[in-house]
Amino acid sequence: MAIQYWRIRDRYYRLIGSRCGACGSEFFPPVYRCKKCGSEDIADREMPRTGKILTHTLLHEPLPGFEALAPFYLAVVKLDNGAKVLTQIVDSPPDAVKSGAKVRAVVRRAKVDGDSGQIFYGYKFVVE
Amino acid sequence: MYLMQSKERAAILGYGAYVPYYRLPTTEIARVWKGGGSGPNVEKAVAAIDEDTVTMAIEASRYAMKMAGTDKLGAVFVGTESKPYAVKPSSTMVAQALGQHHTLAADLEFACKAGTEAMQIVTGLVGSGMIEAGLAVGMDTAQGRPGDDLEYTAASGGAAYVIGRMSKKALAVIDCSTSFVSDTGDFWRRAHERYPRHLSRFTGEPAYFYHIENSVKTLFEETGHKPSDFKYAVFHQPNPRFPVEVASRLGFTMEQIKTGLLNPLIGNTYSGSSPIGLAAVLDEAQPGDKILVASFGSGAGSDAFCIEVLEGVTGARGVNPTVRSMLERSTKIDYSTYSKFRDKLHK
Repeated sequence: MAIQYWRIRDRYYRLIGSRCGACGSEFFPPVYRCKKCGSEDIADREMPRTGKILTHTLLHEPLPGFEALAPFYLAVVKLDNGAKVLTQIVDSPPDAVKSGAKVRAVVRRAKVDGDSGQIFYGYKFVVE
Repeated sequence: MYLMQSKERAAILGYGAYVPYYRLPTTEIARVWKGGGSGPNVEKAVAAIDEDTVTMAIEASRYAMKMAGTDKLGAVFVGTESKPYAVKPSSTMVAQALGQHHTLAADLEFACKAGTEAMQIVTGLVGSGMIEAGLAVGMDTAQGRPGDDLEYTAASGGAAYVIGRMSKKALAVIDCSTSFVSDTGDFWRRAHERYPRHLSRFTGEPAYFYHIENSVKTLFEETGHKPSDFKYAVFHQPNPRFPVEVASRLGFTMEQIKTGLLNPLIGNTYSGSSPIGLAAVLDEAQPGDKILVASFGSGAGSDAFCIEVLEGVTGARGVNPTVRSMLERSTKIDYSTYSKFRDKLHK
């Protein structure tokens, strides 16, 4: 995982997605061809760090490697540019985690490879 | 001359604080370990299970860069004693997250005063003309051995400063600073050890008070300043009592230190302690106000600064959350949750 992660770390640290030069659509995660107009005129684009929760769930049985975080909120967030992100919601009271809630991106530890391996960082969101 | 003063003055162009969401009441620590009442502080700020010095430094730095209105940093220094990696710089991870690559990046360590060292170094680089602007961060996820006195105060948080050349938008000029150090074994953590050790009462008189009094008195002697020249003073805050005592000894009043005195509510954020105190002061200071900042790091040393607030500070209001708002946005946790968050439990 370490090298794969290293290659795309800007996606996790800075929400680097894509912008279509032909129609202006923006996407996250990045794309090689525009999903709207099919253009291959694609460039990196830093996504807005704010958006709203579209939908969410409270996850009690996460994938292996994330057990220590459970239970946690998993949500689909619609960023201010329309791009959608599947993300964890942190540091937010339960009654604030709801559809339409304004959120902003933060950088957190995503996964830790034991006591001697690497620490992988990524985006999560906080309710404003 | 012991005064450090650059020929071209450097100024704070932006700052950002970070206080984690979680608070552990010290009554919880007392309940588990010693019974009785709370510790010297009411609560301490606790980083979440997925937070560390790097994540908190990134958040504070983003705030600082936003306020400064800059996307180019010639230096990124992270002062901390709680690096996530023993070998692998925290500063490069922070720089990467900020989109900075053509930059000098390094980690600094000096117990609780690495943050102010970072500020001095960036001030020097800017003042010499080597860089336009740089980032200085003081941030820690301080750890105390379970049941130790230190556990009542060891906390998480800090602040970041973008320091650059003087401009109309500059918030405050860093006029000068002094440093005073000696080999003092008041507090230490050997390699591979999880928790630091300390010499209890030895941390006071020959360590904290001796070094801060020397750095501040030297600043006064070299500049001719006196306590009444300063609207605000911020001293390192290992507990609520020491900063009040050293302020009194040096001739400062409670009125001058109360704004930056955060220990009762968040504990000792180590390298972040005096930088976040300064951030709380800048949140309300007015142009023309002078601020004295004196850090302390065990081992031991103190850096004292004379900072003067400029007109630009008023334009920066409302750009970022204030320190006070970060104190209010919080939730209490119990000792069990704290133990899980701070890796005190091992399966």
